[in-house]
Amino acid sequence: MTTIHALSHRVRRASAAGLLVALAFSGVARAGGYPTVTDARLAAAATDNGWLMFRRDYAGNSFAPFTQINTHTVKNLHLVWSYRSHLKQGYESTPMVNGQYMFITTPKDHLIALNAVTGKVLWKYVRPMPGVGFKTVCCDVVNRGVALYGDDVYMATLDNYVVALNAISGKVVWQRQLKPADVGYAMTLAPMILKGMVIVGESGGEYGARDFIQALNARTGALLWRRWTTPAPGHLGANTWPKGMYKHGGGSAWITGTYDPSTDTLFWGVGNPAPWLAKLRPGLNLFTDSLLALHPRSGKIKWYYQYTPNDSWDYDGVNTPVITTLRYHGTTYRAIVHADRNGWFYAINRVNGKLIYARQFTRATSVEGFKNGLPYTNNALRPAMNKQVFTCPSFLGGKNWWPISVDPVTHLAYVPTIHTCMTMKGAPTFYHPGLPYLGESFEVVHDPADHHWGALQAIDLDTGRQVWDHESDLPWDAGAMSTAGGVVFSGSARGHLYAFDARTGAVLWRSPQLSSGVIAPPSTFMVNGKQYVAILAGWGGGTPIWGGKMVPVVKNIPRGGHLYVFALR
Amino acid sequence: MLSLSLAAWGVPRGEAAVPALYTAAQARAGHRAYEHHCAACHGRQEQGLVGPALSGPIFASPKANYKVRDIYLFLSVNMPAYAPGSLTPKQYVDIMSFLLQQNGFPAGRTALTHSMASTSAVPLLYHGPRPPTRHARAGGGCGARPSVPRSGAPAASPHCEALVGALPGARTDPPAD
Ligand code: HEC
Repeated sequence: MTTIHALSHRVRRASAAGLLVALAFSGVARAGGYPTVTDARLAAAATDNGWLMFRRDYAGNSFAPFTQINTHTVKNLHLVWSYRSHLKQGYESTPMVNGQYMFITTPKDHLIALNAVTGKVLWKYVRPMPGVGFKTVCCDVVNRGVALYGDDVYMATLDNYVVALNAISGKVVWQRQLKPADVGYAMTLAPMILKGMVIVGESGGEYGARDFIQALNARTGALLWRRWTTPAPGHLGANTWPKGMYKHGGGSAWITGTYDPSTDTLFWGVGNPAPWLAKLRPGLNLFTDSLLALHPRSGKIKWYYQYTPNDSWDYDGVNTPVITTLRYHGTTYRAIVHADRNGWFYAINRVNGKLIYARQFTRATSVEGFKNGLPYTNNALRPAMNKQVFTCPSFLGGKNWWPISVDPVTHLAYVPTIHTCMTMKGAPTFYHPGLPYLGESFEVVHDPADHHWGALQAIDLDTGRQVWDHESDLPWDAGAMSTAGGVVFSGSARGHLYAFDARTGAVLWRSPQLSSGVIAPPSTFMVNGKQYVAILAGWGGGTPIWGGKMVPVVKNIPRGGHLYVFALR
Repeated sequence: MLSLSLAAWGVPRGEAAVPALYTAAQARAGHRAYEHHCAACHGRQEQGLVGPALSGPIFASPKANYKVRDIYLFLSVNMPAYAPGSLTPKQYVDIMSFLLQQNGFPAGRTALTHSMASTSAVPLLYHGPRPPTRHARAGGGCGARPSVPRSGAPAASPHCEALVGALPGARTDPPAD
C-alpha cells in the first residue's frame, strides 16, 4: 500500500528537481477567453496548466507536474463529464487543452472543440473528403490530435492536408495539400509547432510511397522545407538502395517528433522500407527504421541512427524519441530513449547519435544483438519467397506507436508492450499507386514463452532493466502518462482507465468500464485549481485489422468513441 | 462478336463493352465468402469501414486505374488482413466474381478461374449498379449504396450498423486486465 510518508517523500523529491515551482503563467486570456499560445508557452509546456502538445512537452515526456491527484487521492477520482461520438473506427487522439478549451479529433478527421470543464461543444469541424477512398490507410482511419499555436489549431488529415483553424470560431484560416489522396500517402499524426513552423510527417510505408517530413509556415501554410526520408542519387545514404528503389521505398514519418533546445535538434523517427520483403532491396535502406537528428530550420540531417538495418519485418522506427538525461556505468549522458517496434529499448547519446545501451523489453529475435553500437539481424530469420520464418516480435511490435512516458522523479520509462511473434513468408508483389506493396504474407501469434498478449512495464532509464510489469491478457495498445503525484495513467483494451503507483506498478485505481477499449493516450490539465484527467475510449487501430491470432481475442470489444474527463470528488 | 453474345444473354445494349467474366453461381458463393471473411472490415455493402470501399465509383475509378488482375493478385495474396492468403483459390475467385458483380460487371456463362483472374487486363471500372443476384440484398437491407463510400457514419441506418458492427449488446465485466 502507498503511505502518506511515501507520498510526501515523492513531493520533496519533485520539488528538489524544480518541478513544483509555481506553475507557469498560462497565457493572457484574450477575446473569447482563449489564451494565446506563444513560443514561450510552448517552450515551457511541461509546466503549463493545459496540455499544449502531443506528448505535453518538446522532450516527449508526457509527464505533468500536478500533484492534486496523487497516490493517496487518486481513489477519489470520478467522472465529471463525457462526450460521445458516433463514428465506429479507432480513436487515437490525445485531448489537448489550452485554458478552458479542449480539442479532440476523431476517426475521419473530425475536430471538436469543447469546454474543458463542462464538456459543452463549442464548435465542430468535419473534414470534407468527397471522392476520397481511404485506399492507402493501413491501420484504421485514425487521427492522433492537434497542435496549438497563436489563436489557431492545426490538424493533419487522411487526404494529406494541413488545416489551420481559428481556435475560437473553428473557421478555416488556411489549408494546404501536400500530396493527393489514395495514391500511397495519408496523414494521421498530431502536427508539431516549432519556431513558427508547423511540422508534419507522411504515412505510406505499406504502399511504396516515398515519404517525408514537411515544415510549413504556421501563419500562412507556405512550404518551408521537406526532408525526404529515402535519399535520391547524390545524397547521403543513396548508395544503400538498389538503383531507383528509393522512389517507392517507404520511410514513413507518422509520429510526431521531439525537440532538444540544448542542441537545437529536431528528432523524428522513420518507418519501414517498402516493399516489406527485404530480398527485393539489398542494402541498409537509409533512412528507414531510423532516428533522424535534424536542423530545425532546414531539415538537414545532423546524424542518424538506424534501429533495424535492411528491415524485412515492418519494424517502423517512428515511436517517440524521448529526450532525457541518464547515467550509465558511471557516466552521465544527454540521451534519447526509445522503445522500438523491433523489441529493443534504445538509449542513444543525443549529442552525437552513438548508442549508449540497448536492451530487449520483449522477446526480440530478428534483431539479434549489437556490435560496435550498431544492431545486427539474424539472417536465418529473413523471409524469402519459399521460406517461412518464425520470429519475434511480430510486425506490430514489441510496441506499436502507443507512446511511452518518462518520469523524471522515478527516473522510469513506462512502456506499453505487446508479446507477439509471427510467421512470415515472401509473396508476390508489384507496385501500383493506391495498392499495398508488401511482398510478404504473415500471421501474428503469441510469444510462445508468454501467455499474456500485452503489458505496461516500467524500465529504469539508467540500466534499461524492468522495474515493474503489469501483465494483461489482452494487448496493451494505449499510451502512458506520468504525473508528479506519483501516478501513472494508461487505458486498457477492456476499457478501464488505470492509475498505477509510479514506483511499484500497484493498481491504485481503475475506472468503471468505459464504453469501448482504449488505444489513445490520456492527458491531464488544471483549470481554476482543479486537476482533470481526460481519455478517449474507442477501440480500433492496427491490432483488430492485422493482429492475426489477436483478432478473435479482441473481436468483441465494442466500438464507438467516448471522451471521459475525471477529477477528484 | 462479344457484344452480340452479351446481347444474346440479355445484357442491355450500350453496356456491351463490359465483359462477362464470371458466372452468377460464382458471385453467389463469393457473396457468402465475402460476408464471412471481408465484410467486417470492408462493410456488408462494400462501402468501406476500416478497409476501403470495394465497390462504387471511387474504388473502381479511372484515376485508380486498376486492372482486374491488380485487385485479384493483391487480395488473393494479402487479404484478409489478419490472415493473408489463408483462403482457398476457389474462395478468392468466387469473391473476385462477387466484387465484379458489385461493380456492375455482368454474369456470364464462362466461369472465372484463378489464372484468368491473375492475368486479366480488363480495366476494373464501376459500371453502375446491377440487378442483385437472388442471394444478394434487394431493397431494404442497409439501404442504398452510399454515393460517397465511407463518408460519415459507417452505414446508412441503425439496422445496418447492427449488422456491420457484429458487436455484442451487453458487456460483461471480466476480471482485471
Ligand atoms: C481485418 C480487416 C480486413 C479484412 C477482414 C479484409 N480486409 Fe481488405 N483491406 C483492409 C485494409 C485496412 C486495407 C487497406 C489497404 C492495406 O493497407 O492493405 C484493405 C485493402 C483491400 C483491398 C485494396 C483496395 C484498394 O482500393 O486499394 C482489397 C481489394 C481488399 N482489401 C479486399 C479484401 C477481401 C476480398 C477481403 C476478404 C477476403 C478482405 N479484403 C478482408 C482490411 C481488411
